[in-house]
Amino acid sequence: MYCPATMLPVSAVCGGIYRAATRALRTRKIHQCRHLSSGDGVLQAGLADADTIFALSSGHGRYGVAVVRISGPAATTALRSMVGLRKHLPPPRTAMLRSITDPHSKEILDRGLVLWFPAPHSFTGEDSAEFHIHGGPAVITAVLQALGSVPGMRPAEAGEFTRRAFHAGKLDLTEVEGLGDLIHAETEAQRRQALRQMSGDLARLYQNWSHRLKRCLAHVEAFIDFSEDELIEEGVLEQVDISVHDLQAEIGQHLKDERRGERLRSGVHVVIAGATNAGKSSLLNTLCQRPAAIVSPIAGTTRDVVETALDIGGFPVLLSDTAGLRESPDLVEQEGVRRARERVQQADLTLLVVDSTLLPSEEHQASALLLNHLRSVLSSQENTETGMCLLVLNKTDLLPEAQREKLNRGLRGVSGLPPVCLISCQTNEGLKDFLTLLQSSIKSMCGDPLSGAPTLTQARHRAHLQQCVASLAQYGRYRDYDLALAAEGIRLALTGLGRITGRVGAEEILDIIFKDFCIGK
Amino acid sequence: MPHMLTRKLSPVQSIWFLVTKRASHISRQLYDVIVVGGGHAGTEAAAAAARAGAETLLVTQKIQTIGALSCNPSLGGVGKGHLVKEIDALDGLCGRAGDWAGIHFSILNRRKGPAVWGPRAQLDRQRYREFIQAELLSTPRLTVLEGSVEELLVADPNPEEPGVHSVTGIRLANSSHPISASSVILTTGTFLSGSLFMGQTTSPGGRIGDAPSSSGLSQMLRERLRLRVGRLRTGTPPRILKDSVDLSLAKLQPPDSNPTPFSFMNTHTRCKPEEQLPCYLTYTTPGVERVVRESLHLNCHIQQDTKGPRYCPSIESKVLRFPGRSHQVWLEPEGVNSDLLYPQGLSMTMPPDVQLRLIREIPAMHRAEIHTPGYGVQYDYVCPTQLSPALQVKNTQGLFLAGQINGTTGYEEAAAQGLWAGLNAARWALSLPLVGLSRTESYIGVLIDDLVSRGVKEPYRMFTSRAEFRTSLRPDNADLRLTMKGYELGCVSSVRHNEAVRVKRGLQDAISSLQALTMSTTRWRRMLPGISVSESKNSSLSGMDLLQYKDVSFEMLASVFPENLSEYMEFSERLKIEAVYKPHCDQSKREIERIQKEENMALPQNIDYFTLPVSLSQEVREILDRFRPSTLGAATRLEGMTPAALVTLFNYVQFTGKEARTTNRKQTDHEEDLCTRKASLPQ
Repeated sequence: MYCPATMLPVSAVCGGIYRAATRALRTRKIHQCRHLSSGDGVLQAGLADADTIFALSSGHGRYGVAVVRISGPAATTALRSMVGLRKHLPPPRTAMLRSITDPHSKEILDRGLVLWFPAPHSFTGEDSAEFHIHGGPAVITAVLQALGSVPGMRPAEAGEFTRRAFHAGKLDLTEVEGLGDLIHAETEAQRRQALRQMSGDLARLYQNWSHRLKRCLAHVEAFIDFSEDELIEEGVLEQVDISVHDLQAEIGQHLKDERRGERLRSGVHVVIAGATNAGKSSLLNTLCQRPAAIVSPIAGTTRDVVETALDIGGFPVLLSDTAGLRESPDLVEQEGVRRARERVQQADLTLLVVDSTLLPSEEHQASALLLNHLRSVLSSQENTETGMCLLVLNKTDLLPEAQREKLNRGLRGVSGLPPVCLISCQTNEGLKDFLTLLQSSIKSMCGDPLSGAPTLTQARHRAHLQQCVASLAQYGRYRDYDLALAAEGIRLALTGLGRITGRVGAEEILDIIFKDFCIGK
Repeated sequence: MPHMLTRKLSPVQSIWFLVTKRASHISRQLYDVIVVGGGHAGTEAAAAAARAGAETLLVTQKIQTIGALSCNPSLGGVGKGHLVKEIDALDGLCGRAGDWAGIHFSILNRRKGPAVWGPRAQLDRQRYREFIQAELLSTPRLTVLEGSVEELLVADPNPEEPGVHSVTGIRLANSSHPISASSVILTTGTFLSGSLFMGQTTSPGGRIGDAPSSSGLSQMLRERLRLRVGRLRTGTPPRILKDSVDLSLAKLQPPDSNPTPFSFMNTHTRCKPEEQLPCYLTYTTPGVERVVRESLHLNCHIQQDTKGPRYCPSIESKVLRFPGRSHQVWLEPEGVNSDLLYPQGLSMTMPPDVQLRLIREIPAMHRAEIHTPGYGVQYDYVCPTQLSPALQVKNTQGLFLAGQINGTTGYEEAAAQGLWAGLNAARWALSLPLVGLSRTESYIGVLIDDLVSRGVKEPYRMFTSRAEFRTSLRPDNADLRLTMKGYELGCVSSVRHNEAVRVKRGLQDAISSLQALTMSTTRWRRMLPGISVSESKNSSLSGMDLLQYKDVSFEMLASVFPENLSEYMEFSERLKIEAVYKPHCDQSKREIERIQKEENMALPQNIDYFTLPVSLSQEVREILDRFRPSTLGAATRLEGMTPAALVTLFNYVQFTGKEARTTNRKQTDHEEDLCTRKASLPQ
């Protein structure tokens, strides 16, 4: 058996760390040389993790307050030499207002709050400290430079604080990922999902599956190892059949969440498409409330994809404006049209913009024309799963009131037609209704992160779960004539699940995760 | 050229030889290796040490019990059969002995896939003993001596390292002269402080009818070497007179019509197919349960809480744990000329009169007579985490342990350890580096790794589910996995090596020929009408691909392409298995490489885990200190280890490894190579 409870392939988890460790080693050697040359004295015979790291943990730029974080054995040295605490360290986890000085020149760099987190009660599990200083670039640079001159200290690498926390057993992999998302969370809904993952909801769901798989495997193994000598109850394999089938269905269902969790994490792709001069760029500008795209009466103004990130009702949206779809002899425009079509294929939600003044006045003819148009824009041989669509009839300010009413009534509930909105980017008429519709569509695509089963948030999880489902299929394939290979299927499925929570690992996982973190956490 | 069953010395000759050895004094007082005990572990250990080139002495209490089957008259089974095949691939005795003594052969799990097939045989006890004794006597460099070991002689080579000892030899009871040796292997079985239980009586001993061994050894291990010692128990059923059993009331279990030999060196078994004896299957009744419950107060073995096997439990514990059920009882023949039946599943320790009442509750045995009553045994075992993967006691150079003394149960488990300890004891004596076996290459590796890195809580038995790489570690390919390696290490004869090389080449050639036969599915279907290969895929398949299909056999392919394939007919079954399993084995290759990498990362044995300047929780430090894993791979398999702790250890190993290499730069490449090899198996 894979010894599932204890089996973590270390070199897998460490493969990535190996490089970091050797890097750390090199850095340490450099420090040693420096100590020697400056006559600093004793070399600390420590390990790779004995380095003390520091970094700016808040964002770059002008802020009221900046937070600089330090972790490692030399954190005490930094406190002693930079905040004038020669004899006593400050009380743990208590903010103290102090002058922060350069350890060599004794020049005062700033006045700020100092916090001391002795090991193991810190985020990283090591001795840690935080300086909350003023957020100007000059102050930050001065403090970071001063820290760099303290013996044994070096700037942190990307994600290194979290890596140390993981090494100290403070976080498991899904929690690490959840934390990363929390840092990156820009919208309220993202924050909620990240918080939920960090608290282990997803880990619990996967552990439940893995627990059930372990049971299945145990039953099959019992049947293999004992059924010839002893009495194994009737129907053991039949029960496994049912469990494996249920798990396949549940994991399959989880995978079929239409990427809700991933969407929420990386943003919903909304693409504005349609014929030239329908007002696509005007819609983009209206939605993002600034002139992000050039608007002109000339057909074919937009030739490339214009992207902008928006927060719509708390959900992250990546909005793309595309070139108008038409046959054109212009090579640049042809490429623009090709890109536009590609975007539509990848879109989670397409806003098909139509110039309402070009529609026939009779509603049946209008809907037939729209259906045709819809098909030509959205249809694709390869991709049958085109995302959702909203039909936006623009320029309603140019329509007579009666015609507007007629379209509004006549196009509702026509089979094959997506929801229709009549708006005018010129007068903002109908915009409020459109926004409500847009928001509810996006919400239904992301799902409510706080209710129901936790959703898949990472493409990595998806890949392992897909492997898990495929391995379970191997069970069914061999069940009747080679139980050893059938059991192998369950075993592989378990390994797949284990890779998600980091209990059974693959080399690249940590590399990728830690690469995605900003410096400082 | 396939080899026939090798005919050994006749029993008469063998006994004569043994008597001679016993009568004459041993010729020398200095040996390379001394093996204490003549059971399954001891005989394999002695034979392996002698094969590996060591002057070897086997000391046993009674020469006539060498190779005795103390309990069940059978060999192999699911998991255990894998071990027998591997022992045979390393030129051990038990596979060939089984082929010689078997009287009922069957492959268990026939329908569950070749990776878990369990070759098994009922044995004739007398024939088995004869074969083992004859084999040991014809082994060059091996001397057999009857005697009881009173004392293990130990020196402390370095006064600065008080906990480290070194074995120097043994002293026999009633003798003042020590016998010196570089290595000593203890295979004491159930005899180390053994006590026998039957009803309310207890007596010292390891097997009924044999004298108890002296208490000196056990005391030595505890007090002088300060080894942690625990206590385990086991039991054996009463033997029943065959004539008193009404076999018509039991279900006949015939053997396989065509017996499959255990040994890669044999094409057939000594017993002819039609001469095989059947087994019988019957069941316990509610009456059996009643007798057990009524007699509990008379049964002191069952009242004690010493750990017994969960996997081969006594009828008492079965009834108490699963009340209201009926349990299987197999009635097994004990030999061609034996009047006894062995009731497998009825191991019991109640008083003899109650035993009789109990078995008579079973319809087929309602008038049965007991020849020898069943009894229980309690014995000492040494916690095996104190051993290295070479089965050497970590704190005592030259002392090796194998078999039940390491907490295992079963002939096959004992034999496997015996062989490996014997090989390493010889290598130690000959100043060659000690060797381990990876769990990625063999069940023996799994067995030893489980023992030395995780320890035992109850008697350890092999199951196929213990092997992570079960699809690669199959009974059919044990020779390809181990024989060449065993030859390099010195425990495999050149005859067997040549045979393995011939088979390997044959299989490779056959696979190349099959792969060269690549055609469209349409053509294959035309040539082999009725196969279930779908034509829809407009692709071509090789003969190897085709052989993966359920309804395609090598014989079918050979009948279509006789000129390409007929010369490989002897490998037909193996080729079929290879074809089916190849994709799955390829899949696990990366995982295997990863584990091997971890197994190559040695953790220094002198680490003080409590003061190691890395971030580890107290709990993890305690686990590491207790088990002292030899490699990072072994550490990953410890219960209670956290991912974080493993990462920390990994970093530590990486870092210290680097530092060691920089300081050793002056050494020559060769020396460095030796260093790393030795470091991978710390003492």
